[in-house]
Amino acid sequence: MSELIEQEKVSSDSQADLRKPPGPWKIAARKFVRNPYAMVSVFVLLFFIVVSFSAPYLTPYDPAKIDFSSTNLPAFSEGHLLGTDELGRDILTRILYSGRISLTIGFSVALASVIIGTVVGAISGYFGGWIDTVLMRFVDVMYSLPTLFLNILVLAIFGNEFIYMILILSFTSWMGVARLVRGNFLQLREMQYVEAARAIGVPNRSIIFNHLLRNSIHPIIVNATLMVGSAILSESALSYLGLGIQAPQTSWGLMLSNAQEFMLINKWLAVYPGVCILLVVLAVNFIGDGLQQALNPRGKKHPVRRLNEWRKKFSKSAA
Amino acid sequence: MGEYIIRRIIQALVTLFLVTVFTFALIHLAPGGPTQVMIAPGISPEAFEVQKRNLGLDDPIHIQYFRWIGNLLQGDLGTTFKNNIPISEILWPTVGNTFVLMAIAWIVTLIIALPWGIYNSTRVYGLSDQTAAFISYLGFAMPTFWFGIILQQIFAMNLRWLPLSDMWTYGKEGNISDLVMHLILPVTVLSLGFLASYVKYARASMLEVLDQDYIRTARAKGVKERRVVFRHALRNALIPIVTILGLDLPMLVSGAVLTEKVFNWPGMGRLFVDMAVAREYSALMAIVIVTSVFVILGNMLADILYAVVDPRVQLGRKGGGSK
Repeated sequence: MSELIEQEKVSSDSQADLRKPPGPWKIAARKFVRNPYAMVSVFVLLFFIVVSFSAPYLTPYDPAKIDFSSTNLPAFSEGHLLGTDELGRDILTRILYSGRISLTIGFSVALASVIIGTVVGAISGYFGGWIDTVLMRFVDVMYSLPTLFLNILVLAIFGNEFIYMILILSFTSWMGVARLVRGNFLQLREMQYVEAARAIGVPNRSIIFNHLLRNSIHPIIVNATLMVGSAILSESALSYLGLGIQAPQTSWGLMLSNAQEFMLINKWLAVYPGVCILLVVLAVNFIGDGLQQALNPRGKKHPVRRLNEWRKKFSKSAA
Repeated sequence: MGEYIIRRIIQALVTLFLVTVFTFALIHLAPGGPTQVMIAPGISPEAFEVQKRNLGLDDPIHIQYFRWIGNLLQGDLGTTFKNNIPISEILWPTVGNTFVLMAIAWIVTLIIALPWGIYNSTRVYGLSDQTAAFISYLGFAMPTFWFGIILQQIFAMNLRWLPLSDMWTYGKEGNISDLVMHLILPVTVLSLGFLASYVKYARASMLEVLDQDYIRTARAKGVKERRVVFRHALRNALIPIVTILGLDLPMLVSGAVLTEKVFNWPGMGRLFVDMAVAREYSALMAIVIVTSVFVILGNMLADILYAVVDPRVQLGRKGGGSK
């Protein structure tokens, strides 16, 4: 029976193909679905998102509640699947709640820096001239700053508010997108359809949004995805150093700094949060690569050039 | 060429100027301003005024800025609020320690990464190539400090083969074999991070060259494959690799904040984090400026080096380019 339905679906699909060729998004989606790494990653990421955001329904404990009657329980203790830490807090609960914060920061930083980068790049690429020169010099300056040092400095001065962290992380990571969008705009604005639009009196604003931006959306999406991963890494690094998320809130980075202190007592403390970070960032990077392959119909980009971009994105957060 | 170098130097100076303005502005934007930051809370209003005048915080802001810059130019980095220790006294030794760590990690990485990347470029998608790809995926996705913590647990706590942290065992300062033992773990951590990008980079750079027409010509006229790879391809493939190395030079001083923190290495990164936690603002400012000088200098040298090595670079190359 189910096979029949399956067949019917296939045939109706092929009929639809005859009537109308699939659009670019559909082609990309099909390519993406066929990429096993990317699909597994999507499920891993969704799993983490669902589980950490439904944490209050999954676990009866409060992540910050200190309970000295049950400290340092080993894994698989009764009621505590992964055991408890030195203050008697349930580790699994803390992992889930940490995931919320890390993921929120990852996605908000990616979104914010893509917006900043796109605006700057769009203005720079579309108008050109001295505006372009000034903005690109500014990008150069931002690139040559020691990012991690700057993040630490700002957080030390302004205090470790959640919102400051998102702001400073996005303020130091938008330059890649800006350069990318600018490059795309420089190419696209010479296209004939843009000239045609200008000739019939389309205002600048809608040329930028409807013609240029729509045509450079693919690399922006790919870039945004990869940025989620590096933002999560930066967040964990700052929290580990004691300058990011502060107790009673919790994040994977903060848990790691705790774990290092108490590794004599419970060595598994350090393993869980690290594995979570690793899995999420790996998933995000695989999804980004999958999108890149799916959205880029003209085959592979130049390996060196692509690597250059990679390097720029990751080298600052590494080490 | 000369014009390009001059333009690049001017650009570096402007960047440096902006960094100082930015850092200075940050301190003055801090909640409560520099007075809040630099004067101990809880003192009487009269004492507060006297302190403020002594510290020069009454002066107009641009005068304060120029005084700070003037001091910096004379090598006076200021003093810490607590204990009034001159910052240069605590800063410069840590720069040396960081340099030792980073330089060794860097050299180890290069010795492994370059031959490996070149080998992989001749056997694309072979076992060794796949392994390298796997490692670089891990290297990009793994928090380096976590890797450090795990290594500490395995090799220092469980197996007890290597020291847990610090640069020297107490009382053994200056003993080279002791230093080497302390270096193994942090160097491993740092190398994995570098390796992830360098192997890929060497491979990609070689692949690009191996794809060129003159390589095909060389093969067609019967040059041995070994000679094609090492003579014809490698020379040109080295150009972008050298540039990347140049761009990473400043990392030798600034690169290891997290690794230093994990292994309690007495370097500049750890000093910076400690100062940040202690809210020692003038020390933070000084370290940011010193690091920026290194980073900007390194970037400038890399750009100039690139122009020298590769005559195809247009002299008017805008920093970064458009694509």
